[in-house]
Amino acid sequence: MEKKSVKGWIYILPSVLIMCVFTLYPLIRAILMSFSENYSLIKGTGTAFGLGNYQELFTDKYFLKAIRNTSIYVVFVVPLSITFSLIIAVLINNSGKLKGLFQTVYFLPYVTSVIAIGIVWRWIYNSQYGLLNYFLGLFGISPIGWLNETQYSLPALIIFSIWKSMAFDILIFLAGLQTISKDVYDAAKVDSTPAWRVFFRITVPGIAPMIAYAFIMGIISAFKVYNEVFSLFKGSAGPANSAITVVYYIYDQFYNNFNYGVAAAAAVVLFLIILGLTMLQRGISRLVKNKNS
Amino acid sequence: MEMKRIGATILTAAMATSMLAGCSSSTTETTAEPATETSEAATQEATTEATTEASSETATAEKNIEATEITFWHAMSGALEEELTALTDEFNSTNEYGITVTLVNQGKYSDLETKLMASAAAGTLPDMAQAYNNYLTEYIDMVVPLDDFIATDFDNYEDILESYREETSEFGFIHGLPFNKSAYVLFYNKTMFDELGLEAPTTWEELEAVGEKVLAEKNIPAFGVDDRAGFVEATIRQNGGTYLTETGAGFDSEEGKEAIEYIMNLYNNGYASLPADGEYFSTILSNGQIASYIGSSAGASYIDTSSGWELGVAPVPGNKENAAYAAGTNLVMFTQDANKQLATWEYMKFLTSTEATTEWAIATGYLPVRESAYETEEYKAFMESDITAAAAYEEKDYLFVTPTFDATTAVRSQVNSTLEELILNKTDAETAFNTLLETVNAQY
Repeated sequence: MEKKSVKGWIYILPSVLIMCVFTLYPLIRAILMSFSENYSLIKGTGTAFGLGNYQELFTDKYFLKAIRNTSIYVVFVVPLSITFSLIIAVLINNSGKLKGLFQTVYFLPYVTSVIAIGIVWRWIYNSQYGLLNYFLGLFGISPIGWLNETQYSLPALIIFSIWKSMAFDILIFLAGLQTISKDVYDAAKVDSTPAWRVFFRITVPGIAPMIAYAFIMGIISAFKVYNEVFSLFKGSAGPANSAITVVYYIYDQFYNNFNYGVAAAAAVVLFLIILGLTMLQRGISRLVKNKNS
Repeated sequence: MEMKRIGATILTAAMATSMLAGCSSSTTETTAEPATETSEAATQEATTEATTEASSETATAEKNIEATEITFWHAMSGALEEELTALTDEFNSTNEYGITVTLVNQGKYSDLETKLMASAAAGTLPDMAQAYNNYLTEYIDMVVPLDDFIATDFDNYEDILESYREETSEFGFIHGLPFNKSAYVLFYNKTMFDELGLEAPTTWEELEAVGEKVLAEKNIPAFGVDDRAGFVEATIRQNGGTYLTETGAGFDSEEGKEAIEYIMNLYNNGYASLPADGEYFSTILSNGQIASYIGSSAGASYIDTSSGWELGVAPVPGNKENAAYAAGTNLVMFTQDANKQLATWEYMKFLTSTEATTEWAIATGYLPVRESAYETEEYKAFMESDITAAAAYEEKDYLFVTPTFDATTAVRSQVNSTLEELILNKTDAETAFNTLLETVNAQY
């Protein structure tokens, strides 16, 4: 080995060590745990080594429901949040003197504790005194038990989460908008290009990397949704587990039912899903890049 | 430039507020635990205590305990924690051996359970802790058996209520002493009952009749339960059935079937309802949206009668038999050090003495763990004024706890969510019965 590379290794040694202890080792343990049946935390072993946990997992209706709910959640939350954020970011960017104020207001959800926001949204969703039902009432829609009825709990969660994740998206889109040269907009103005065309031909391509970034991060974090469920439904997963998500399922199996093996198996499945999707996205963005260049 | 600075100021302020909001949310979480009593009661009691303590200590003179520190993990918050601290301070200052007990609040019961499990795995259990039996199944061999201590150095073990003694000898040896015990009772809106000419129901039929009348006259459900799994078990027992056995569900019988039918009819007919908007029934009863509910006696202080209605409390209705769910934890010892065991035992004896359990019960709304405590003038006087304590007293002889098997914890959470789903789907009684049986058996 060359002297140079030894030195290099020494430099990165601390972070490699930390990563091994706090990331790699737990990861390997979790994978091993997922294969040991009836895993006992006290003994540190299970009764057998095999696929039993995975079998149990894929026959558990709550896990299948969690996968289904999480997929629906991702499909709605990520694109809608990005779309609304994009529109709002453009509006804020053009709001002149009030820009700073709006920027702050829209960023508030990001810096506020999810648990606190959850309490507020529980009031908004309250079936009898809630703000949302009040407004719906103005249009003659009768009160909806957002948090009480199985068919509304997932939509309630999705609306809440879109609102919440917009904060981060708006922030990075605003940053992106600063990078688009003003000259391009001025040129468009000289040509009296219609606003929608400016948006689709200049703004969107201009911040395409930010949109891609928001998309990847959004999907990853949406697959890991848990805080929002916990805070909106006061520590449960909605009526009859109707808003259960994969991470909530892992939590529930681990901490409430002490099914460590099954929880670990669910975590491995989630890991594989996210890994697969991230690789797919990287593949697509590489393809797009190659096509453009 | 100016704009930016203002923006930054607002942002900082917002961050500060969000931190505050974070704090307040954590307080709401802790108060969700049933807590009772007013703090004046605690201080009043603390003064009367010192005189009565000495008597229980005199019996055992020949003891050699070195001064030591004991760590006690508990999950008592608010007024409960204040009273526990008062009692512990008293023990620390009056015990003759120089034992100092350090209280460590581990948050909610579920946090305590998780932390105990983690520290059992890591071999760092505290000297003693509060624990439900089902916490202990995985590490029961780390719990110190108390049989010898009780045989040689305990004041009248027979005086501890029988149901509690049964509960703490479930693992084949005595693994703990009962401490903060409560019972499920029926809380009802007496004003509404009087108006409709109703009495507190004592049987299933009476409860159904109340349900019919309240629904017809007031158009609200008459009845709810905070703990669905506990309700299922109590109902099966009231019908003479068995809930769980070592190998699976015990209610695959006529008794069990009738019990589930009764439950489903209550909900399907609209006599009973699930809690709405994540509220506890104490709040729902306070808002006048329900006429009665079954909940823990320790939660009575959460009922708010300030809008001008009178609260009534009654024993839970029975059927062929009476059965009321008992909640609350026991004190268990983990320390392996001989001297610390003796010291911990002194403290455990102190907390379960007639004087301390009476004081604790009056200050917190929990129930005394000794028969003799019920006979004290203080507690009798307390029951005169406290209708919850009086109702719980009537249930004294038919309290039960869930038997502890490996599956008990999982059964509890699964029955809770499965029954909720069955109710929401307005499932017929037959299907509900079969689904619950399957659900319970699947946990074994």
